[in-house]
Amino acid sequence: MTIPQTTSCPPASQPRVSRRAILKGSGVLALGAMAMQLAHGTAIEQSEAGTSNGLPHKGRVIDCHAHLTHRSRATWEADDRKLIEAADKLGIDQLCCSTLTPHRPATADGFRECNWWTDDGMRRFPGRVLGYCYVNPGYGREALEEIRRCVEDHGFIGIKLYNEYTCTEPVVFPIVELAIELGVPILQHASHSHYFVEDQPRMSDGGHLAELARRYPEAMLICAHISGGGDWEWTIKALRHTSNVLLDTSGSVTDEDTVEMAAAVVGVDRVVFGCDSSMTAGVGKIRGANLSAQDKQKILSGNMMRLLQRRKS
Amino acid sequence: MIVDVNAYLGHFAFRRLRYNTAASLLALMDSKRIDKAAVSSAGAITYHNAQAGNEEVAQEVRGRSDRLIPYAVINPFYAGWQDDLKICHEEFGMAGLRLYPKWHNYQLSSPCCRELVDAATERGMVISIPIRVEDNRQRSWLLNVPDVPLEEIVELVKAHPKARFILLNGIGYTGCPLGRKDNGLPSNYAVELSRLSAVLANELGQLITNLGPERVMFGTGMPFNYPDPALVKLEVLDASETDKEKIRSQNAMIWLRL
Repeated sequence: MTIPQTTSCPPASQPRVSRRAILKGSGVLALGAMAMQLAHGTAIEQSEAGTSNGLPHKGRVIDCHAHLTHRSRATWEADDRKLIEAADKLGIDQLCCSTLTPHRPATADGFRECNWWTDDGMRRFPGRVLGYCYVNPGYGREALEEIRRCVEDHGFIGIKLYNEYTCTEPVVFPIVELAIELGVPILQHASHSHYFVEDQPRMSDGGHLAELARRYPEAMLICAHISGGGDWEWTIKALRHTSNVLLDTSGSVTDEDTVEMAAAVVGVDRVVFGCDSSMTAGVGKIRGANLSAQDKQKILSGNMMRLLQRRKS
Repeated sequence: MIVDVNAYLGHFAFRRLRYNTAASLLALMDSKRIDKAAVSSAGAITYHNAQAGNEEVAQEVRGRSDRLIPYAVINPFYAGWQDDLKICHEEFGMAGLRLYPKWHNYQLSSPCCRELVDAATERGMVISIPIRVEDNRQRSWLLNVPDVPLEEIVELVKAHPKARFILLNGIGYTGCPLGRKDNGLPSNYAVELSRLSAVLANELGQLITNLGPERVMFGTGMPFNYPDPALVKLEVLDASETDKEKIRSQNAMIWLRL
């Protein structure tokens, strides 16, 4: 299976942030910024030269956490188009998308429908939308069959788990084992607040993900939206010692030092860029982080590409 | 030129802030090409005596007031606020206020707050109100401070038509009268863009249409926030360069009388 290349962006008739701009200004010192721009210039040249293995180019920008719109919303088609237009403006090449249902907990028919729409989105925006298969683990065999169908037959790149179950509950284990068999990542909705979140009683947090990662060291797990998942310092520290969990930078919170602390504590190889619909926040955080251009490029796509290359079929 | 109407100095009780001294904030501003910033005390958000934070800010900006415009944090329920206001304005040269009704536990509609707004207006000071300080989901186990309800702001701007308000760190204005066209409210308030969406829902674009580009201002929330998300919003904003220039600096220069 190959991961499709991006199609060309439409003519830049509207304001647009270039990849170079995302990477610029990453240090306070002008010299640092200049060095990074020079370094990224190389990366851009490499990306434009292309690669031969069908994987995203080095130098790309991959949003690891995005959503297409559930079609119960009348404006879904325009909303999906706006997502792609926003990605165009912000220099985001590819978006790893799931479609979630507002009718939770999701039924088997409910998540199948969502995945059908994600699959359709992959066709409507070829090369731009990569699909996560969303399931409710409580549906056991039906959930496993749906994952196998989406990944093996329809080229989905991973699995999205929401809050129907805490990720350490045994009902989730077969999903993780199948993900390991297929060699695909699981993006796990997560948050840690210092109070009980009543409307999400089975919320997972970094601690749960660390526990799951220790149980399944071969699994590739992504802890969703550290910047919108409560106390991000807690989450980063909870995941320090679990090398098979990556941290997704998405979310609406733009607290200074989030990205730098994540890179310092868990290592820059375990941080992946995401927006989760907070587009300018997502891009701005990476642009503002005081990291080298090489490190930023790992976050923007290199680490996600490395994950996607571990696919087994 | 870029003028940031939403910046801070000092320590915040619940999270380490970097770039929180005058020197380091200016270095950050230089790296982002932000020329001026209105700054107030982050410490005063949780100090009992907010004036101690104002004194710290006054000390920090000394000799740098061409770029760092000091704002006072005043709690109208704390003893001696009238003296503090006078000192902040007359001795420290603070041109505006920041109010924290939820953090300081008072109502915007309370007589004391109304008295403070009138006193500040009498002095020609701008009154800025951060709708939130931090995302509530990451709050400390010690407290639960809600955002300032926009409905309370509606009543405030109506009650003080001669005052000038800048609303910081807000979102959802288009869902209430504040962000609607022809809302019958006095045009005595402006909104700062740091949390507004510039793509997808594009509340920023809607507010420019509904309120006019003269009532939207650039702000970052630094050093609580990375300044870059706000800068990116301006870059991708689908607006004329004339309107962007108003948002970037001109409106703030007029409102802050720079």
